[in-house]
Amino acid sequence: MSGGRQREPALPHGIRRVFRLATRRTPIDSDIDDEIAFHLEMHAAELVARRGLTPAAAHEEALRRFGDTHQWRRTMSAIDREHAMQRRRLEWLEDLWQDLRYGARSALRTPLFSLLAIITLALGIGANAAVFGVVKSVLLDALPYADADRLVRLYGREIDGPMARAPLSAGTIADLDTRQRSFTHVAAFESQARDAIFEGDAGPRVLKAGYAEPALFATLGTPVALGRALRDDDAVGDTAYSVVLTHELWEKLFASDAGAVGRQIRVNGIPRTVVGVLPRGFVGPVSDVELYLPLNLQALLRDPVRARRQQNYGVVARLKPGVDAAVAQREVVAFAADLAREHPLYDSRSTMRVIPVREDMVGDTRTPLLVLMASAGLVLVITCANLAGALLSRAISRRREFAVRVAIGAGQGRLVRQLLTESMVLAIAGGAAGVLLALGGLAILRRLALRALPAYADLSLDLGALLVTAVLALATGLAFGVVPAFSVSRASVEGGILRDESRGISESRRSRYLRGVLVAGQIALCVSLLAGAGLLARSLWAMTAAPLGLLPGGILTVAVELPRRSYSGAQARVRFIDQYEARLRALPGVIGVATTGALPTRVNAHNEFSPAHLPPSTANRPLALYSTVSDDYFRTLGIPVHDGRAFGPEDRLDGPPAIIITQSMARRWWPNGDAVGSGIRLDPEPGAPPMTIVGVVGDVRHDPARAEPEPELYMSIRQAPWNGPVFLLRTRGDPLALLPAARRELAEVDRSVPVRDAGTLEAIVSDRFSARRLPVMLMTAFGALALMLASVGVYAMFASMAAAREREFGVRIALGASRRAIATLVLVQGGVWMLVGLVAGAGGIAVVARAVRGLLYGVQPFDAMTLAAVVLTLIACGTLALLGPVRRATRVDPISVLR
Amino acid sequence: MSNDSLDLLKGTLDVLVLKALIWGPRHGYAVARWIEDITNGTLQVEEGALYHALHRLEKRGWLTSEWGVSDANRRAKYYALNAVGRKQLAAQTASWTRYAEAVFAALRTT
Repeated sequence: MSGGRQREPALPHGIRRVFRLATRRTPIDSDIDDEIAFHLEMHAAELVARRGLTPAAAHEEALRRFGDTHQWRRTMSAIDREHAMQRRRLEWLEDLWQDLRYGARSALRTPLFSLLAIITLALGIGANAAVFGVVKSVLLDALPYADADRLVRLYGREIDGPMARAPLSAGTIADLDTRQRSFTHVAAFESQARDAIFEGDAGPRVLKAGYAEPALFATLGTPVALGRALRDDDAVGDTAYSVVLTHELWEKLFASDAGAVGRQIRVNGIPRTVVGVLPRGFVGPVSDVELYLPLNLQALLRDPVRARRQQNYGVVARLKPGVDAAVAQREVVAFAADLAREHPLYDSRSTMRVIPVREDMVGDTRTPLLVLMASAGLVLVITCANLAGALLSRAISRRREFAVRVAIGAGQGRLVRQLLTESMVLAIAGGAAGVLLALGGLAILRRLALRALPAYADLSLDLGALLVTAVLALATGLAFGVVPAFSVSRASVEGGILRDESRGISESRRSRYLRGVLVAGQIALCVSLLAGAGLLARSLWAMTAAPLGLLPGGILTVAVELPRRSYSGAQARVRFIDQYEARLRALPGVIGVATTGALPTRVNAHNEFSPAHLPPSTANRPLALYSTVSDDYFRTLGIPVHDGRAFGPEDRLDGPPAIIITQSMARRWWPNGDAVGSGIRLDPEPGAPPMTIVGVVGDVRHDPARAEPEPELYMSIRQAPWNGPVFLLRTRGDPLALLPAARRELAEVDRSVPVRDAGTLEAIVSDRFSARRLPVMLMTAFGALALMLASVGVYAMFASMAAAREREFGVRIALGASRRAIATLVLVQGGVWMLVGLVAGAGGIAVVARAVRGLLYGVQPFDAMTLAAVVLTLIACGTLALLGPVRRATRVDPISVLR
Repeated sequence: MSNDSLDLLKGTLDVLVLKALIWGPRHGYAVARWIEDITNGTLQVEEGALYHALHRLEKRGWLTSEWGVSDANRRAKYYALNAVGRKQLAAQTASWTRYAEAVFAALRTT
């Protein structure tokens, strides 16, 4: 037997407390005192007996021989205290282990219930874990730059126009560099990646090249993995001979060979040296760039007109210590105003803005993500309420068991702890399964959501996310376990349970009330969630249903990249386009062939224009989308020509430039309908001759999120052939079946021209929606889950209510009540709670509608049809759920119940 | 006791205490007397240190203790070896013997 504590007599609580206050020394210390006292007495007695000392002298001698009593007492006390603590900890762990085993055993005793509970928990916790993983990697994790909070992006902004994040011109940036005072570093880069042809062993392939000032790497503060970053002297010449690869490209081209640094690669026909490799996970401000080439901004300033007119540079800057984004913003706005005065031709209609890099990269994914997180949280709360109700019933049916245990001496606290442990066991099992589900879900998400989320987002469950999930699981276990645990423990103490009550489940009034509240809560939350999902789904539907303006079905797109070396002149490009188009037309099954500079929904070049009949003004020059197309483009894509003509052979390379505009643009600026034949100026230089409008075509909605199509103007590809043409083939059958033939024909025309991209137009167009589609799909999934849970909750509530009053129903039936009367009783009792839930849900709907207002398109936040559909769905499911229990209640056999 | 033999004593004390208990439970005073008697008074333990050792060994899990009644009808704390303690005693006896024989052999040579 270990320990030396005496069993204290079991006194009622109050008196024991008083006694404890009276004693000054702990049991440990008094034991030590006793032990030492015994030793001294024995020793003193021996000294008296053997050496004949007086008792007093003997005692003194014994004391002296003992040593420093005080110090030894203290040391021993410390030892004993530690020992006691060790033993307590061990006992506690043993108790916990016992509780866990007991919890597992009782879970196994009702395997079906436990399995269902674990599955619902896994779904709820897993959903939350997955969403949190995404939120963490998008909103919380550190960006792959040094001190990323001090980095900002600089954009131009139209003063009264739609362009909110516009690139800047080289001239603007050069001026900014000399005049600014808020930043320690300023670095410019081309705001879009260029397609460059890499000549490798397997043939030419297209890479995304980014031109950036060498200062970019210093500004971002990212170290290199191999070699070095670009230096200022790399940018001195007019040709870039040094390149830096991203980690992914290095893996692809050099198979992660460390000897890649110093090797040469041919890009666009020019041999360039790889001087460095960037670290894994690094994503630059232009996310699809695979290799970086040095940008020489100074060289661009040699042509002062072009330097101001072409706005295609982005800027990253690092704030000086002590300067925050607001201060920098003020300086930058003032600078833009100065610039507007100095160069009214180019810069008068825009100002500038400063956006912190994280906000820029997160973009508008923040709100949808937070909405998703809230939805997942709601589902978990519904799960907890559901399980709490179920466990409540179960706990009530186990009251006998608990009463017996209390009778043989288990403390009430121990009982509560045990019940809580049981729910914890379920929650932990559910949490573990949920993590597995989340990992799987994230893997799927990574494949689906590539475009929808910022490029640096990792979409994985790291240690932090796992920890949060573990805490969530424990909290969930507590949440749904605490209510049944406490309700039952109180009931069992209030004696009389061992009296033989009606068999099985007899619910007290309080627990019925509790059950009803839980179900009402579930219904309210479910209604809110469904309302949000419904609104978003309708928005998505409105967006996708609105007409595109063209017919995307059955069209194959093949994008090629013409090497600059052999296709430096416009004539060479036009010749290539004609040759390839002719070959494509000859392919079997091809109905139409066209070429364009940029695919529909991917047009992003803008050009200013001013109608010739309006006085040239430097302010408020509108912008239009701008693309170049071949003669057959409108016909092949099914874009109607409303006025004038499409492009034709009369629009020669050296002929007068012809412009075709869209209908909305014509209506707006040529309201008299005389657009065809009018002049339009694209060049802001005064004195530049206007171009003639030869036709008006139907609008194409390139951005599905916009309600109105943007004004757009087209030029003939013969007059402005870009070097990255995209060929479109309309076919009767499956477009992809033509791809191998298209590649063959391409090789026949010119083997050195690589295919940049190929796919069906339908896929490309629907890709645009993917960013919008994803949150809707997820929320709908959550809504469906919530609906299922709430239905189960309703079913369980009615079932237990009916079972509780079985006897009563038997009596009533025996006394002549009709089946209908019984059914009405049950319905009324449960229906009240459903109604309460719906009413509460109305409040929830108001909150949800306000939250998702910013994400809606084409539908009002309080859209009657959606909300009615939601309420009806819930009522329908609830009705289905309660049918079973109500039927059973009316079928009660009075004889068997009353026995 | 001089200082340099004190450290040596701590380990030695432990093995002596364990040995003292091999014949059955004893209280602290009995252990002290036994050590003195069996070593013919050569080793005189500082008694506080002895009790320190007893408590320490109990915490380590080599002894168990129990309050009982002494011969003189007094309340006393009795210590007893448990299985782990017995094994420890055997092990430490063996290593102590080896150590002593080695030193003795070294000192014996002329």
